[in-house]
Amino acid sequence: MGPPKRANEPPPFRRVMKAMDRQPKEPNHLPTMSRRDALVGAVVAVLAGGMVASTHTSLALAAVEPSTQVRFMRMSRLLINHQLSPDVGARIVETMAGEYPDLPGMLDAIISIAERNHAAVVEDFFADIPDGELKDFAHWVILVWYSGCSSEKANATVFAYEEALTFKTTSDVVTVPSYGLSGPNRWSQIAVPVANMPTF
Amino acid sequence: MASETGAEVVIVGTGVIGAVIAEQLLDEGHSVLMIEAGPRVSRAEIVENFRNVPLGAKGDTSASYPPRPWAPHPVADDKPEDQYLQLTGPDSYAQTFVRYAGGSTWHWAGTCWRLTPDDMRLRSLYGVGRDWPFDYDTLEPFYVRTEHKLGICGPSDPAMQWPARRSAPYPMEALPFSPGEQRFTEVVKTLGYNNIPVAQARNSGIPYDGRPSCCANNNCVPVCPIGAKYDAATSLARLERKGANILVDSVVYKVETNARNKIEAIHYYDQHKQAHRVTGKLFVLACNGLENPKLLLMSADDRNPNGVANSSDQVGRNMMDHPQLTLTVTTREPFWSGVGPVVNSGIIETSQGAFRSEYAGAYFRYNNFGRSRFVTFAALKKGLIGKALDEEIRRMTACTADIVAAHEILPDPNNRLTLSDKKDWLGLPKPAIHYDVGDYVRKSSEVYSLPIGKRIAEAMGAIDLKISPKFSQSKHIMGGTIMGEDPGSSVVDVDCRAHDHENLFIPGGGAMPSTACGNSTITMTALAIKAADAIARQMRGV
Amino acid sequence: MKIARRIALTASLTFGALASSMANADDFSPELIERGSYLATASDCIACHTGPGGKPMAGGLPIVSPVGTIVSTNITPSKPFGIGSYTETQFANAVRKGVRADGTNLYPAMPYTSYSVMRDEDIQALYAYFMKGVKPVEESPSETRLPFPMNIRALMMGWNLVFRNDKRLAEDRRKSVEWNRGRYLVEGAAHCGVCHTPRGFFMQEKTDRYLSGSQVGSWYAPDITSDKMTGIGTWTQEDLVTYLRTGRILSKALAAGSMAEAISHSLSHLADADLNAIATYIRGVPSTKTAPQASAPTRFGQGKTANELSGFRGQGFANGTKGDQAGAHLYSANCASCHGYNAQGTKDGYYPSLFHNSANAGDNPSNLIAVILFGVDRETIDDHVFMPPFGDQPNAINVLGNAEVALLANYIFKNHGNPNLKVTPEDVQVIREGGPRSNLLAVARIGMGTGAVLILLLTTFAWFVSRSIFKRRLL
Repeated sequence: MGPPKRANEPPPFRRVMKAMDRQPKEPNHLPTMSRRDALVGAVVAVLAGGMVASTHTSLALAAVEPSTQVRFMRMSRLLINHQLSPDVGARIVETMAGEYPDLPGMLDAIISIAERNHAAVVEDFFADIPDGELKDFAHWVILVWYSGCSSEKANATVFAYEEALTFKTTSDVVTVPSYGLSGPNRWSQIAVPVANMPTF
Repeated sequence: MASETGAEVVIVGTGVIGAVIAEQLLDEGHSVLMIEAGPRVSRAEIVENFRNVPLGAKGDTSASYPPRPWAPHPVADDKPEDQYLQLTGPDSYAQTFVRYAGGSTWHWAGTCWRLTPDDMRLRSLYGVGRDWPFDYDTLEPFYVRTEHKLGICGPSDPAMQWPARRSAPYPMEALPFSPGEQRFTEVVKTLGYNNIPVAQARNSGIPYDGRPSCCANNNCVPVCPIGAKYDAATSLARLERKGANILVDSVVYKVETNARNKIEAIHYYDQHKQAHRVTGKLFVLACNGLENPKLLLMSADDRNPNGVANSSDQVGRNMMDHPQLTLTVTTREPFWSGVGPVVNSGIIETSQGAFRSEYAGAYFRYNNFGRSRFVTFAALKKGLIGKALDEEIRRMTACTADIVAAHEILPDPNNRLTLSDKKDWLGLPKPAIHYDVGDYVRKSSEVYSLPIGKRIAEAMGAIDLKISPKFSQSKHIMGGTIMGEDPGSSVVDVDCRAHDHENLFIPGGGAMPSTACGNSTITMTALAIKAADAIARQMRGV
Repeated sequence: MKIARRIALTASLTFGALASSMANADDFSPELIERGSYLATASDCIACHTGPGGKPMAGGLPIVSPVGTIVSTNITPSKPFGIGSYTETQFANAVRKGVRADGTNLYPAMPYTSYSVMRDEDIQALYAYFMKGVKPVEESPSETRLPFPMNIRALMMGWNLVFRNDKRLAEDRRKSVEWNRGRYLVEGAAHCGVCHTPRGFFMQEKTDRYLSGSQVGSWYAPDITSDKMTGIGTWTQEDLVTYLRTGRILSKALAAGSMAEAISHSLSHLADADLNAIATYIRGVPSTKTAPQASAPTRFGQGKTANELSGFRGQGFANGTKGDQAGAHLYSANCASCHGYNAQGTKDGYYPSLFHNSANAGDNPSNLIAVILFGVDRETIDDHVFMPPFGDQPNAINVLGNAEVALLANYIFKNHGNPNLKVTPEDVQVIREGGPRSNLLAVARIGMGTGAVLILLLTTFAWFVSRSIFKRRLL
């Protein structure tokens, strides 16, 4: 019997999400939720709610509904097909909630576009996001996860550094600055091909 | 106004110069008081400061070192009206020094190129600039002591040393190259250039001086998280154990002379703006090449109307640095910068030659900073998503590199620091610096350094090349309290003792009569050790 | 410093060889001296008998024991200050019985209870080495001054009567030659039990709990019996030999503190055959657990990778030091640069992960606190492993107070080690000061005090009684 499950434990959450994402494309089938989807969704909501509740008390979580957090993570994973930290997501949502009054609406809009396209990856549906506010928002979410910041300005809000996705694209060769790469004088990386994208 | 006795030796500043001199004098049994304008901070705090800086601003070193109101230092972000340095002239003398205990070695890259014999004889050899008042062989033993004091690693193969004329090996072997540097070395060899390891104050392979070995955090600038890079902050606790008294948050504003025009006392403000006065037998100004002349000018009195130590009118003049241009190269094949320390190798032979009678030598360093923070937003701005975004970021991280051409500069009395009429938080005058890199440097960029740089970029297989439109400074402050034998045209003598005041020493970058192209800290520190020897002799009455 | 010791050892051996070729009396052959040198390395004499920055074997190392500080003696062949005038018998008695040439007793900080098994021919080789292979140092270290009543060395006679073992080892014919050699080394020269066997109230080794783990000052020498849960029963022969030679097995164990010293000065220099013999013997040492235990993870497999960065990243340094994330923040600011922001270490494993790391698991929290306070400094033949300290040393990269160390340690235990381990700032202070103190000193004082009072009472009573008898006689 180990310690209670912590918010930062990806495996069960991620497996469930991937199952949801990989819905088979059924012709002529509207994206109504199957019973299985509903059950999975409920389980996810409960798990996510539990995880969000156990995240740090320094976050003003009262302002954000658990379901907004869940939908944000869902949308994020649709836009970015990589493992994303729910803790970082919670930080982003907490800040966003003030900036975007219709945040739940925007999340749902993008999620439904993805579902309508039976999207397995972002390339399946991104072009169908209408230009303007919604597309800008989608690009901004991608920027936030990749850079860990709200913008490239010097006064940007910082949500993440180590876990910013930009570093994960090159984690086989370069370190996240300020973190050690190897034992003393034991760095001997060769010029690895650009094509060898790490998995993350 | 509080008055207290200081110590036998009062040192203003706790950077590398002050720390090295303090330790030598403490070891000889003298009492030492060190006065630091800024705060004592923990390494943990600076490391976390850096990690908390937004990705787009991580290149701004001042972002990790917020200054205290009483000890302002330049902040890139500052609004024009809040700027500390009042800069004029066609070229910017922007700097990033740190007024914290430990000084600017907190964020230096650790690069330690020695001068060559020719670098010290520009006037005799090329008819330009100034000669040093002594030769390389006189300075050489002090270089050796510096290399052992700071823990400088370098190649044992004479073919890779700069210069090979040395009386002792480096205490540690050179660090391994990154893939980018290995490739760069091969590429420039085809042009006939040698990319050699930079000697650096970084522990290589073994712990040294009770500090761990480099593990390639690639964060030397702005802070080494583990103290593998020498910075003066690592020595402060040891100095205190040896009996040094270190006052922090204490801003020296006046050097007081007595009737015999010897230095009598130092005045400083504490953080509550209370004035204090400390006396001593001998005084060392070691608060960097900009704050030193500023302090001397602020200390003008009836005996020294142009400023203390300024009968030559050279205090604040001849402000020098290493004007640099950056070539950002995008290559087809991956080079991969970012493995190992941030500056690890360079082509320095291009700093030497007969052409120096007409234009400046230049040194090409391979900037080994990890590229992620340089390329991420550009990739995002292209509107890419999904796999294409990942691939673009990875490609640009692997296939972009900065080659920096750093030039030497000649001393020009019009490149000058004066006291502006703007005041800082304590009411002290903010420094004004007028700066023009001069035709000597501009001509070099036109006919020498940039043509070489472009050939290098081409040899690297560049598919894109961007060159900085203007010179920026390398943040190596030199010249403002220049050394010479003639008190009419120099501020300090061969031991960095002020010509005008026999118990005042001003060692550091400000004393250097020529800059050459390599970073100045090792030469500054060699001068500090030479000064410490002279101080010790003087204290012994020899 | 440690390199200097090695060089000094080699130099002294050379000097010794030179000296013996010049000697006419005391004809010790170079081979004998060299064998003595090897045995001295195996016995790790230098580790205790050389002071900080001092000359080899010249003594002066303060050894913090639970009953006070013992200073090691000069065992160079100096006649006035060392053992230069010792005969071979006197040398043997010092090493095997803890009795000096002048008849006084040594404290069992000198592990004569282990060295007592050493054979005569090995004692002779050691004697040859110390007389001819070590450079004499004409300096005396400071005297040991234990608090009363421990300063009464004669009390050791009683202790020795009960606890000293004067037997040699009899060969066990049922076991291999290698096992017997291993036993001879482990129970003798390498004196593993001195650290790894728990001690009783009188500071004697509890032979029925042999090698099952014991506090050694600030550090904890863990259970190295073959118990599969609490010991090293899951290790292979190669694991153990590698560990003895280098102080490290990736993602299993890393040596620090006194074990790092033992490896640097002694074990890493031993011949492969001897390391294998030691490993063979140790791996056969039985578990001391009597009752069957419920299954639990070993100290080598606990914890996981994790981070709590989002609690403070981007929110300013000062914010990070407060509240629930203070432990995580301390980890990030002080440890993560080498040990990784997910505690995963470096990819090549050189800087270890903090999960699956026996320093943070097992039953005793001392080692994590000690390694934070004192760091690691371990030299082997081809490597110098160094972790800086975080106590108040002049070379501490950051200085951590007791409250901070406790917060940090508890964070590491909870996320990456044994979550049942928890420490307080007071616990940290105990480790800082050299480990738990023994009650033996207090009890001995109380005991002697009580004894003194009793004698006084008896004497007084006897006086009264004698007076009353006298009175009666008179009347």
